[in-house]
Amino acid sequence: MKSMTKDQWFTFVDGLIQDDTRDIIGVQSKGKRFHFGFLESVQDLRLDHDVTLLPPKKFLLPTHEELFRFDISKLFEVSCSKPDRPQILIGVHPYDVIAIQQMDAVYQNPPVDDIYEARRKNTLIIASDILSIADRSFAGSLGNHVVTSGYDLLVTDLGDTVVIDEGTTAGRDLLKDFGEFQEALTPEIERVKRLRAELPARYKHKLKIDKFRWTELLLNNYTHPIWDENARKCFSCGTCTLVCPTCFCYDVDDVMDMNMKEGKRVRTWDGCLLRDFTLIGSGEIFRRAPVDRYRHRFYRKGVYLPRRFGFVACVGCGRCATQCLSDIADPLNVMNTLAASSVEARMDLPIPHEEPHRQKGPVFMPKSATIIRKEKMTKTDTFYEIELDSKEPLGHQPGQFVEVSIFGIGEAPISIASAPEAGRSSFELLVRRVGNVTTHLEALNVGEKVGIRGPFGNGFDVERLRKRDLMFIAGGCGMAPMRSLVNYVLAHRSEFGEVSLLYGCKDPDSILFNADLNVWKTRSDIVQKFTVDYCQDGVCWDGNIGVITNLIPLVDFDPVKTAAIIVGPPVMYRFVIKELKNRGMTDENIIVSLERRMKCGVGKCGHCQFNGVYVCLEGPVFNYGDIKDLPEAF
Amino acid sequence: MKPRVAVFDFSSCEGCELQLFNLEEKFLDLIKIVDVVSFREGMKEHSDLYDIAIIDGSIMRPMDAERLKVIRKNAKTVVAIGACACIGGVNKLRNQWTSENVKREVYGDADLEGNPLFDVFPAKAVDEVVKVDYYVPGCPIDRAEFTKVITAIAMGREPRLPNYPVCVECKLRENQCVFELGMFCLGPITRAGCNAICPTHRDGCAGCRGFLEDANMDALKDVLRKYNVPMDKWLKRFDMFNCKIKREK
Ligand SMILES: Cc1cc2nc3c(=O)[nH]c(=O)nc-3n(C[C@H](O)[C@H](O)[C@H](O)COP(=O)(O)OP(=O)(O)OC[C@H]3O[C@@H](n4cnc5c(N)ncnc54)[C@H](O)[C@@H]3O)c2cc1C
Ligand code: SF4
Ligand code: SF4
Ligand code: SF4
Ligand code: SF4
Ligand code: SF4
Ligand code: FES
Repeated sequence: MKSMTKDQWFTFVDGLIQDDTRDIIGVQSKGKRFHFGFLESVQDLRLDHDVTLLPPKKFLLPTHEELFRFDISKLFEVSCSKPDRPQILIGVHPYDVIAIQQMDAVYQNPPVDDIYEARRKNTLIIASDILSIADRSFAGSLGNHVVTSGYDLLVTDLGDTVVIDEGTTAGRDLLKDFGEFQEALTPEIERVKRLRAELPARYKHKLKIDKFRWTELLLNNYTHPIWDENARKCFSCGTCTLVCPTCFCYDVDDVMDMNMKEGKRVRTWDGCLLRDFTLIGSGEIFRRAPVDRYRHRFYRKGVYLPRRFGFVACVGCGRCATQCLSDIADPLNVMNTLAASSVEARMDLPIPHEEPHRQKGPVFMPKSATIIRKEKMTKTDTFYEIELDSKEPLGHQPGQFVEVSIFGIGEAPISIASAPEAGRSSFELLVRRVGNVTTHLEALNVGEKVGIRGPFGNGFDVERLRKRDLMFIAGGCGMAPMRSLVNYVLAHRSEFGEVSLLYGCKDPDSILFNADLNVWKTRSDIVQKFTVDYCQDGVCWDGNIGVITNLIPLVDFDPVKTAAIIVGPPVMYRFVIKELKNRGMTDENIIVSLERRMKCGVGKCGHCQFNGVYVCLEGPVFNYGDIKDLPEAF
Repeated sequence: MKPRVAVFDFSSCEGCELQLFNLEEKFLDLIKIVDVVSFREGMKEHSDLYDIAIIDGSIMRPMDAERLKVIRKNAKTVVAIGACACIGGVNKLRNQWTSENVKREVYGDADLEGNPLFDVFPAKAVDEVVKVDYYVPGCPIDRAEFTKVITAIAMGREPRLPNYPVCVECKLRENQCVFELGMFCLGPITRAGCNAICPTHRDGCAGCRGFLEDANMDALKDVLRKYNVPMDKWLKRFDMFNCKIKREK
């Protein structure tokens, strides 16, 4: 350990500020509170702060961040944004250091968020020991009042001297280059040790349940009345997520410059407490009731992230408790209440198996691709054949999806509708017009460019399906991902048992892939049944009329040998699954593909989550048995 | 071809139109992407050929309603700007009294019988008379938001307003909540988009952008009671831009 006199410390910080290769960010006062801001003078730096209004995450994941720039007057032009200047954060408290380590774990988990990683590598952290304890903090109960790693330097302001612990060689070099210091004396080190040892007792607020038992406690209390009682007072204002150092979900949007030629894709802070966080184009909101959003935050902190990464995603800073106007956001209160009145209604909320990610390179940068064929299929649906300009094959599995970009408008996840074929560099999509991106896509013509990211997600496990009887059940747009699997199976027909296809649409005019259906009809090795909800007068229709479940009894299948694959609108699943189970099919033999709002496609933005499952990583294809007990799944 | 834009004003303080002038160099950028064909505040020419009608002000009289209906027929897209046009705003305060009483209060005993200029009905927001496609709320409007909405329309992209409370933007600006400063605020129930300008300047939000569809009124009342804000004060603030009282005639 090293030590500096107060004067040496001021000179050191002043030296950092004067050196203009880096931005120096430190804790400063803001009214009666504190915040992290650019330091202009060492006089502004405070190390006696209790807690800052916003955590230092705003310098690692800025509230508005440019991902890349584009120019829509050119055929396809994207450019990386200029990297930020290197920065040093001074005065980061131990709980915030731990929160940054958690953020590192999430953002640097493959597929790595390269933009975050670059900024993180450019950031040095000068942590500081806690001198004053924030009113609502309970970091002491979590052991987060001290840290042993995650910083480059750790300073303890003892009033007359500052004791410094070197955490990394980068920290040591910084000291050498800018500071004058001496070895810390034993009494100084003793004072630091005592300060840290006495901290826990100084916290007013104490957890009554060990953090390692949060998961278990929450799993026992999904139906506890506290969720409803508290959510009634919730404004869905997102404060508890925005001010939290371990909440880092974001939204993505395209913003045009005033010249209407250039623009940028930006990500901005978002939060699961906001009503439209799970809104999709059809108007459906998956966590519609405030209680679902309110509860989700606690489960993310106490169950979902701990299961995935091994840490409780609350560091006890108390920011949410202080800043929630209704005072319902405090995990301490909630966990203590649950501990005192547990309803012990066990629920498991498992995470299904995740495919290892193959994604390489910059995760947000779309690749240039060209529309090589376009066909209008119905009033609202258009079919595209697209080729990456690099002529590389997409390399997808049936059931995976891509993110399609139109610069200046945005990005939308779209299932790949074609089967992977050796040597083929193009792939096919079917797009239904619902909102901004899909409407603009409809207007594009052959030869025009789109941006493509992916393939993403977990597709159909064809190895597991091999040798089995298969029953495809598709509703509406669900025929798009289904087609990739059907065509794959038909191309390898001898490797599968009995195959049947049930397809339901709104009316005869909305039937998709008529050309494929006509080819499939010529084959005797696949049973096919069609239905429409209704048939307009004067339209010729020889299939069934009614809901898709009516088709199931028309097929003769062995419920033990058959795997049923279901893709369709959210409402369809419940009825179809019920009917299949009536026919003796087990959960393990049912495979589904789910839809959720998506932004990143790589497990970072948080939008697609339900009960801790990322649809963009573990899905969209799931074994029904793996998710059937998750209350938010269907 | 650039979309043709016309600006029309009804009952308002014209502060919102002034905001358009205050766009200054941005206004020059804006007219690179749209043609302004009618703007009483800013030009003499007028044309009835326009794609986008920008309406400011509330609708107060049968003759205004008729004029508005003609505008709606002429325009492909109608954009309401400002609290007066979007939600009725301060004009709706008048609806607490009968129009007879209001007239007597303002014009004394002057004989206004049969004068169509003084033939009024309770103040209405634009969408209470004709269909509105897009809104730019606020009193006055936020220039950046106005530009964003117009550029989106010019791009053929649906402009979307934030559907969350002012508190979100207030937190992003790292403000200390004004409740902690002894003031009170309607931010938790008001639609964001102004970048929390009032709390940033240490004043409570008055709700000029309108309340959210899912606004949790009861929770806010609890908070106001918790901070001992006198009821008459917050009731007045609730009514300032969002007066719901309707007394016909
Ligand atoms: C895994 C997956 C596969 C899909 N496959 C297809 C397909 O093959 N064909 C097809 O037509 N549609 C598909 N969708 C739905 C499609 O993504 C949405 O219709 C589309 O995002 C709407 O975008 P928009 O900009 O036109 O609508 P807007 O309403 O303007 O949406 C704005 C943004 O919200 C998000 N969003 C909105 N709706 C959805 C949604 N349903 N799912 C995910 N994000 C959404 C997107 O980021 C979108 O850009 C799929 C969705 C998912 C999740
Ligand atoms: S819990 Fe509190 S801070 Fe969080 S959204 Fe609800 S009211 Fe806002
Ligand atoms: S949940 Fe609250 S106490 Fe826990 S880290 Fe987040 S803001 Fe701090
Ligand atoms: S909304 Fe406000 S600023 Fe705009 S015209 Fe009405 S009163 Fe004036
Ligand atoms: S000042 Fe108003 S807008 Fe800001 S956080 Fe407080 S209540 Fe919300
Ligand atoms: S803070 Fe409230 S009153 Fe102020 S501009 Fe925004 S919405 Fe209007
Ligand atoms: S986490 Fe962003 S889409 Fe799944």
